[in-house]
Amino acid sequence: MISLRNVTKFFGKRLAVDALSLAVPRGEIYGLLGHNGAGKSTAIGMMLGQVWPTQGELFICGHDITTRRQRALQKVGAIFESPVFYDYLSGWRNLHILSTYTAPTSAARIREVVDWVGLTGREHSKVRTYSHGMRARLALAQALLPAPELLILDEPSDGLDPEGIHEMRQTILRLHREMGLTILLSSHLLNEVEHLCTRIAVLNRGRKVFEGTLADARQRQRWVRLRTSDFAVAVRELRAAGLVQDERDGRLVEPVEGVGTDALVRKLVELGLPVFEITPEEETLETFYLRLMRENPAEPPTDGSAHPAPQSPPATRP
Amino acid sequence: MFLRQLQNELWKLFGKKRTYIGFAMFLLAQNAIILMFRFTNATRPMKRLLESNGYFAQDFVSTLTISTVMVILLAVTLLPLYVALVGGDQVAKEAEDGTLRMILSRPVSRTRLLLVKWLAGVVFSIVLVLALGVFGLAFTRIWFPGGSLFVFIPGEVFGVFDASTGLARYAEAHLIMVAKAVTVFTLAFMLSCFNMKPAAATILALSFFLINRILEEIPYFKEYEQWFVTYHLDVWRWVFIQHIPWWQMAQSLFILLGFNVTFLTIGATVFHVRDIKS
Repeated sequence: MISLRNVTKFFGKRLAVDALSLAVPRGEIYGLLGHNGAGKSTAIGMMLGQVWPTQGELFICGHDITTRRQRALQKVGAIFESPVFYDYLSGWRNLHILSTYTAPTSAARIREVVDWVGLTGREHSKVRTYSHGMRARLALAQALLPAPELLILDEPSDGLDPEGIHEMRQTILRLHREMGLTILLSSHLLNEVEHLCTRIAVLNRGRKVFEGTLADARQRQRWVRLRTSDFAVAVRELRAAGLVQDERDGRLVEPVEGVGTDALVRKLVELGLPVFEITPEEETLETFYLRLMRENPAEPPTDGSAHPAPQSPPATRP
Repeated sequence: MFLRQLQNELWKLFGKKRTYIGFAMFLLAQNAIILMFRFTNATRPMKRLLESNGYFAQDFVSTLTISTVMVILLAVTLLPLYVALVGGDQVAKEAEDGTLRMILSRPVSRTRLLLVKWLAGVVFSIVLVLALGVFGLAFTRIWFPGGSLFVFIPGEVFGVFDASTGLARYAEAHLIMVAKAVTVFTLAFMLSCFNMKPAAATILALSFFLINRILEEIPYFKEYEQWFVTYHLDVWRWVFIQHIPWWQMAQSLFILLGFNVTFLTIGATVFHVRDIKS
């Protein structure tokens, strides 16, 4: 549904997105993860034809967004962080206005969508009287009006209270389940992404530093939690035996490629060290993300001279 | 679909309170002027001038004459301000508020969006000029009788017309004044397409016209007055000349058309290439 190839964007001399390549298959809930200023919103802006790429190709629903924008966005809905509307008009009028920029939309269709998002009864009130949660629902309604196949959500939970976040999360899952929508969402809320997404890409300073499934992210490192009578001695002996290559936090060891936990237990028992617990450690998205950021430290702002030409896409993991 | 988009653009435009500032200020200014004429001796110099030219002055202190005096002043001062205010808002305010991003996530071309917005602004300009004329006549009629029209603009116009001809000239002047309102609107609209605040677009547009006005008013530049856009913006006043210089007026209107096409083309080009960000 979305395909980005080597997309680069400079704002003046500032590099915002660096040789980004992404592929979002149909039916996925795809998370674009990164801290503020990582390039997520710029990437989404380019996907919607609002920001022109400096270099690269972007295809949305099979159409080049830069040359066939109208065709590409025919079946796309989008929501941005802190949804804004014409506050002095009613929710209904806002939906009517926005719908005319896609295709003729019947009153019945607008009513159906209003009902779906749970705004029935308030649709004729002025938007300025809406709560943040109601605005979020109205934003969802406008995105659903063209009966989209692809939904692009830029920080959809931004500014919502915990109840609103929960509601938004359930709605996204419902959209995916009931309507079979492909959803791309950007967020810096790891918990949100962890609960929703089937596949993620992590951006750091405009560069993609990871793309894969959540399972890939969690299992990228083979850390093993080890509890024994003397962790330091155990690590030293296991290293000497060539079974372990790293340790951290006084409780985790990283076995050498091809070495299983059984080999570690066998060695420790041979050495007479009691093993109270040994279990593969699964990373949380948070620890994975933080480690990615450590491994790919933010570089100082790049200007045109320091970064003369976009390079080929960075190697992605795994 | 285009008409629906235009209709919705008008909903947006006329749904905003600030759109009505111009109408409200016209009411205020016109009533202040009318009351000044009614309750002071301000008509005395006008009568003297008419009588010295052999006219029976009382016939000309009328609704049409007072309305025209007001229009001549308000069209130079307040009209450009209010059309520039709306023109400066048209794109820049939506970009600032973030609603432009919402619209541009839809499959609508930027050119089409801009055209719809521009046309809505043209409709506003027409309505504002119409309001200026109608309000003037309506409120003046409360305090002054009907009668003939006398127009005097030093060095430019000395016109006397019977009531029906005067009314026709008054209507024609407003018709041509639309070209002025649209031109000022289009410049503000063009600037609004750049990445700038709405107020900046309005102020820049007004500054452009004020600078033109200053240059035009410098006596030493008199022989070059046609170089300045303000000269052409004021051709609607020639309708009050006894024998209307139609050919000269048509030339000026063509020049204004050229300005409009240029402003719109620059605006559309800038809007097309710029990035729309949150």
